[in-house]
Amino acid sequence: MERLRIRVALTAAAVALGALAGCTGSNADSSATGQAAAASGAQNGYAGIAQLPDWSGVWEPVARPNRGGTPPEPPKLTPAYAAQYAAYQEKNRTTPGINFISNVANCVPPGLPASMLQPYPIEFLFSPGRVTILIETYSLVRRIYTDGSPLPEDPDPTYQGTSVGHWEGDTLVVETIGILPETSPMSGINGHSEKLRITERIRLVEPDVLEIVTTREDPEVFVEPYTTTARYQRHRDWKMMEYICAQNNRDSVDEHGNPGIDIERKPGE
Amino acid sequence: MNVQMLMRAALVCLVTVLASAPGAAHHSTAMFEWGKEMTLEGTVDKYEWTQPHTFIWLNVTGKNGKAEQWAFEGMSPSWLGRRGWNSRTLKQGDALKVVYYPLRDGRKGGFYVRVILPDGRKIEAMPQRSS
Repeated sequence: MERLRIRVALTAAAVALGALAGCTGSNADSSATGQAAAASGAQNGYAGIAQLPDWSGVWEPVARPNRGGTPPEPPKLTPAYAAQYAAYQEKNRTTPGINFISNVANCVPPGLPASMLQPYPIEFLFSPGRVTILIETYSLVRRIYTDGSPLPEDPDPTYQGTSVGHWEGDTLVVETIGILPETSPMSGINGHSEKLRITERIRLVEPDVLEIVTTREDPEVFVEPYTTTARYQRHRDWKMMEYICAQNNRDSVDEHGNPGIDIERKPGE
Repeated sequence: MNVQMLMRAALVCLVTVLASAPGAAHHSTAMFEWGKEMTLEGTVDKYEWTQPHTFIWLNVTGKNGKAEQWAFEGMSPSWLGRRGWNSRTLKQGDALKVVYYPLRDGRKGGFYVRVILPDGRKIEAMPQRSS
């Protein structure tokens, strides 16, 4: 019990630090250097993976742009999206909790980058020439090619887009395009153009705290790139869980954002 | 749920105060009177350990003596499963009290916050409110 208490206290301290430090609208650190960089695993096969940082375990989001941390600076938006964002802020003030921009209550999964900011954990798998991110919420998978192949010219749009990555020292830099335009590029904004480009810089900032700095670029939405930071706490003793949204989803949201719940039990249920 | 598991769940909840904003992950909480705790006593008809939400279906004797069934949505296995709960924490026939936030529209349902067992033990089922 004593050991548990100490561990919990330490965890609480770590989480508190993470929460305090996380989630500012800061600029990405572009000075990362390092030679381990070449260790994408592509050239050296599985031997190359031993040179990559240890990101094993399960990562729980503890500080996200809209929860648990300092809110980021407001985005600089084009007029059309500024109006949408202002309406969102106003509606949030007058009727807090209304789910007006999210279709996830209908089990439509979030696109990137919202998929990385869901409440349940993520996990990283390294294999030669590839980093795979498993996202528990909605059971999403991101395949990030680190074998040096370029982004395709004009990929077909998908929820998680098309990603390539490279290592700058111990920082994984991921570039993603081809994200479905009906997805949300940030909290309060619904939709974007086919030009949306997401850059993520992922690195350990403490032995068990992972930071992801996410920059959004879309000239039709953002006047200048918009960057937020999220932090994740490592849990080596957690296991990822299955999350099939269609298993028992009684919730819904209509086209106006009004939430509903079905509590009728059909025979046999 | 044994006592150790309950202690563990309670301690983890303390950590969670610092880590999480309260609320349901998957949808808006606007259909519930969020924060208004009500209590209802009954017998579990079914406990659904399902994504994206767990459900307690509770058989209750209504004010007029008539049998009623209530539906309580709860946090997901992804949340509860890491805080001491599992698919066997509640089972058919268990007598208990459910503390919940009621549906605004008056239907017989809500979002469960904790359950209280006949011996008085409380099992928390949500992030503890930090305010």
